[in-house]
Amino acid sequence: MTQPRPPMKPTRDPRVTLDDLVEVLLNKGAVLHLDLIVAVADIPLIGVSLRAAIAGMETMLEYGMLNQWDESTRAWAARSAGRRDLELRAGEALVTRMPGGHLLEEGVYTGWRPGGVHLTDQRLVVLRRDPREVLFEAGVRDLRTVQLETETTVGGEQRTRLRVATLDGRTALLSAADPHGLHEALSSLNPALTALPPAPEGTPSGALEGHLWYQEPRRSGPLWRGGKGRLEPTGLVWKSPLDARPGLLVVPDDILGARVEPGRSPGGDGRLVVLETASHGPVTLAAEEPERWAAALEAMGAPNRAGTAHPPTAPSPPA
Amino acid sequence: MALTVDEKSLKHGVLALVLTLVEVIQEALERQALRRMEGGDLTEEELERLGDALLELDEALEEIKEDHGITTSVADLHRGLDEVVDDVVDKLVNPARWAEEAGR
Repeated sequence: MTQPRPPMKPTRDPRVTLDDLVEVLLNKGAVLHLDLIVAVADIPLIGVSLRAAIAGMETMLEYGMLNQWDESTRAWAARSAGRRDLELRAGEALVTRMPGGHLLEEGVYTGWRPGGVHLTDQRLVVLRRDPREVLFEAGVRDLRTVQLETETTVGGEQRTRLRVATLDGRTALLSAADPHGLHEALSSLNPALTALPPAPEGTPSGALEGHLWYQEPRRSGPLWRGGKGRLEPTGLVWKSPLDARPGLLVVPDDILGARVEPGRSPGGDGRLVVLETASHGPVTLAAEEPERWAAALEAMGAPNRAGTAHPPTAPSPPA
Repeated sequence: MALTVDEKSLKHGVLALVLTLVEVIQEALERQALRRMEGGDLTEEELERLGDALLELDEALEEIKEDHGITTSVADLHRGLDEVVDDVVDKLVNPARWAEEAGR
């Protein structure tokens, strides 16, 4: 079972393949007409009338079915086909084109709209082909900054997005198949984009984010759960990927101190982070870098220790 | 015959199965496209667009198979399905086989 089996070798050439069968079915076409009445005591109660046909379009047309629809579809396509691609201005050249999207943030609705990201030597355009709409357009000269941003998607994956800010104060979030390539192409077109210092936003100093284990107190006994921990100036947030809401929220005022203690941690390195809180008592955590977390938490709790009625409990010696 | 979906992982097997079915649909589309092209009422521009789109679809499928490393599994599964169809059609068009089967 564990050994990979050699690939199957054909023992004979099938004379009829599935593809042939499907082709015959579609070329000939199949029609189903079904009339059915369900009656009780000779009184009809339920009627069923089914009409179904499947065939290749060529066969359908031969039998005079779906003619109208075929014509209107093709007529509509012919009308819109001529202007499917981005029209370039005179002297404008396409630099790169890739699938991507634009995050619509106007009004109450926020959502990704897929389209093709076109970069020409003059403009950055996100164009949706069907129905045709220019989702985002900005001149390369009008851009102020273009930054790569990492964002966690609904599915929990890390994706790199492109945050674009224009000189007239608009900002937009774009996605692209190759965000780094697009970013490079943009900065080679307009070196001013990279000459500007990166915006101060991003990870603020003191913010710590990473995988964090939380020993959740439960009625049946404490339970280690893995999740994402994030330490911000507003406090410590821990959330399991399985939960809709954070399982642990500690505001800075609540933190009394933190220390690294020996103990059985799910990570297996035998060190725990014990966070002393004013309202919940000690909270047990485990992280890959317990010292960093403990130091950051300790620093956050420092103002609370000075002159409070809750002095941090001395680390109990390991038994 | 039994269809063997690779037991290495369910994901692998399901993906191979889905792609095999998509391949069957793609093949059907290509053959019908050929018929329509030969039918002669498509314009020059429509012919070109249809050809391009089918080519893109073919490339995309190949890419997906390469990405997931299931080219061989899909080919095996496709061949397996072909053999099942061949068996069934063979039995349908040759009732003598039923007797053979029953006598076995």
